[in-house]
Amino acid sequence: MPAYYLEALTITLGIILLVAEAFVPTKSKAWLGLAGSAGLLIVLGLLPISAAASSGNQDWPIWNFYQFDSMAVFFKGFALITTILVLLMSVDYRAILSRFTEEPQSENNTGEYYSLPIFACAGMMWLASAKDLAGAFVALELVTITFYILVAYMRRNLGSLEAGVKYLILGALSTGFLVYGIAWIYGALGTLNFEQMSDLLRQQAEMQASGPNTPLLFGVALVLIGLTFKIGAAPMQLWIPDVYQGAPSPTTAFLSVGSKAAGFVLLMRFLDTILLHAPTMPILGVLMILTIATLIYGNLGAIAQSNFKRLLGYSSIAHAGFLLLALSAYNWPADVDSRLNSHEVVSFYLVTYLVMTLGAFFILAQVRIQRGGEEISDFDGLGKTNPRLAMAMTVLLASMAGVPLTAGFVGKFLAFSVAVDAGLWAAISVALIGAAAGFYYYFKVIRAMWWNEAEGAPAIKVPFISSICISLLTGATLLFGFWPQPILWLVGH
Amino acid sequence: MNQLLPSLVFWIFAGLTLLGGIAVVALRNPVSSAMAVVTCFIGLAGLFITLSAFFVGIIQILVYTGAIMVLFLFIIMLLDLKVEKGNARSLAGIAAGLSLVAAFVIQLIGVLGANPDMEMSDAPLNKQRMVESAQLLTKESDDNPHPVGADSAIVKSLKEGSLPDVHLVGHKLFTEYNFPLQMLGVLLLVATVGVVSLSKKKSA
Repeated sequence: MPAYYLEALTITLGIILLVAEAFVPTKSKAWLGLAGSAGLLIVLGLLPISAAASSGNQDWPIWNFYQFDSMAVFFKGFALITTILVLLMSVDYRAILSRFTEEPQSENNTGEYYSLPIFACAGMMWLASAKDLAGAFVALELVTITFYILVAYMRRNLGSLEAGVKYLILGALSTGFLVYGIAWIYGALGTLNFEQMSDLLRQQAEMQASGPNTPLLFGVALVLIGLTFKIGAAPMQLWIPDVYQGAPSPTTAFLSVGSKAAGFVLLMRFLDTILLHAPTMPILGVLMILTIATLIYGNLGAIAQSNFKRLLGYSSIAHAGFLLLALSAYNWPADVDSRLNSHEVVSFYLVTYLVMTLGAFFILAQVRIQRGGEEISDFDGLGKTNPRLAMAMTVLLASMAGVPLTAGFVGKFLAFSVAVDAGLWAAISVALIGAAAGFYYYFKVIRAMWWNEAEGAPAIKVPFISSICISLLTGATLLFGFWPQPILWLVGH
Repeated sequence: MNQLLPSLVFWIFAGLTLLGGIAVVALRNPVSSAMAVVTCFIGLAGLFITLSAFFVGIIQILVYTGAIMVLFLFIIMLLDLKVEKGNARSLAGIAAGLSLVAAFVIQLIGVLGANPDMEMSDAPLNKQRMVESAQLLTKESDDNPHPVGADSAIVKSLKEGSLPDVHLVGHKLFTEYNFPLQMLGVLLLVATVGVVSLSKKKSA
């Protein structure tokens, strides 16, 4: 099966769900979310049997914009799994969702909430295959515009509206930087295609052209600023805490995992293009400065938080910092075959990040629904009322902090090891301080669950789907902690 | 004169664009701001036309100035927005904004200063060049993977010495850039769905 069928099928699924929602009048819209995740599961099953260009279609213009290498397969699978879990989370979250739409008593206005993530998923899958800045930009905008809607979806909730406006304005600003940067790159090189760009750079390097290409560097810097918005890193990280706190929980989970991964895959492809034949460009130094700023902002900002969702927002900035740490070590151990290069480390880290973050959001969504709040104090006494749920949360938080024998530890360890190979000592020392701070703020939640008394808070009844997902994700967090081979195999090592 | 006129026209339209842009931010009445955006777009359209991109220039006026900004004006007037009152601009805010702009401009001057204007390599767009390019367009090559037919509208009008820019844009869009175009279709669908679901009123 040609690979581009995957996105076409995903889009078709989204359109079918949109139309089905309009013509099938049911009281509960849960079946839409279930049908959506089942459909995406089928697309995920088709992913391994898809193939890149065959002899019949290899001169089609689509292959100027679409590639199907191992990285594309990995990130398409990543987007699909994230979206499936987010849809399942939305099914259990629909009580809150419908309360803040135009008709609070019914679920009539929540139908689109299940088809929009599918379109965003198609955008992320296209991004994973990006081969040209023009195509990548359109795919990125598809993802971003879908998120504008998803963030503001609970429009009778002031927090959600505020988050939507903030995300819209800052998103438009970052898009401006991105387009302006792309224009400069086009002006400097005369092409937007990644292959042609790196060919041109190789020729320039061979001719020993005088000095660095400043217009190109200016464009690269602007594109980097635009992309840091998507991955949630400095200098465009200011939106994260407010938007994460205000948006509906499944959207926040989708933003923090799906959108970040989509940003990183584009960033990696872009850096490959620029750095492959011109490794002397002063880009990695800039990346390291961004790493340090991101780590400081995320980790120190998280310490003072009392709202758990906001805390997860800062933690997502901190994780972006660790991912950037691996990325700014760009390819140093490439000559040592047994080690992972920085792209593989980023992919690995993103998988561990997916598992623990989505797990935490599943639990947070249930606490929000049944205890009515998202503060850390809403987790008080969870250890007494729901020991198993509290146990799962403890494992997930320990993994985020990087306690050994959890998936998060392996990810952080790999990120540090590539950075050590590259000798980025300044960034490493900041990252160590950040990781130590992480122990403090993640364990604040653990303390609330096990040491604080629940003041009449009810025990939480976890619905069937959530309980399966939570056990799966917690199990995976523990499993990958001492047996990371499955992920290593997935990232192609 | 032949050298002076294009650059004079460029400076006039560039100045118009800049003036419009500054006025959008500086004016406090929303209707005036919207009119300033129109000015800015007209300047941009002028720049496009001086670059021989007639189609883009006309579309800029038809779509942005004519349709979108008029829609904006209607909405502003229907909502009856008042002139922004209250909090006068703080000195610190202006200073911060200006210093950001200044930093950006200094950066730009540095980049542009390091790279003096390149010599115009392209000869002016005249009939002889159009006839030559008509022949190039019909032949398949690495630079031109999607040749146009020998009796197509593009070739005909190039041979007559007029620029078929609508056809050229269309040809590019529906051959080479067909895939991003379809992605844009999905994007527009999502935007439509979003607008409807975010602005939907209670069904009676």
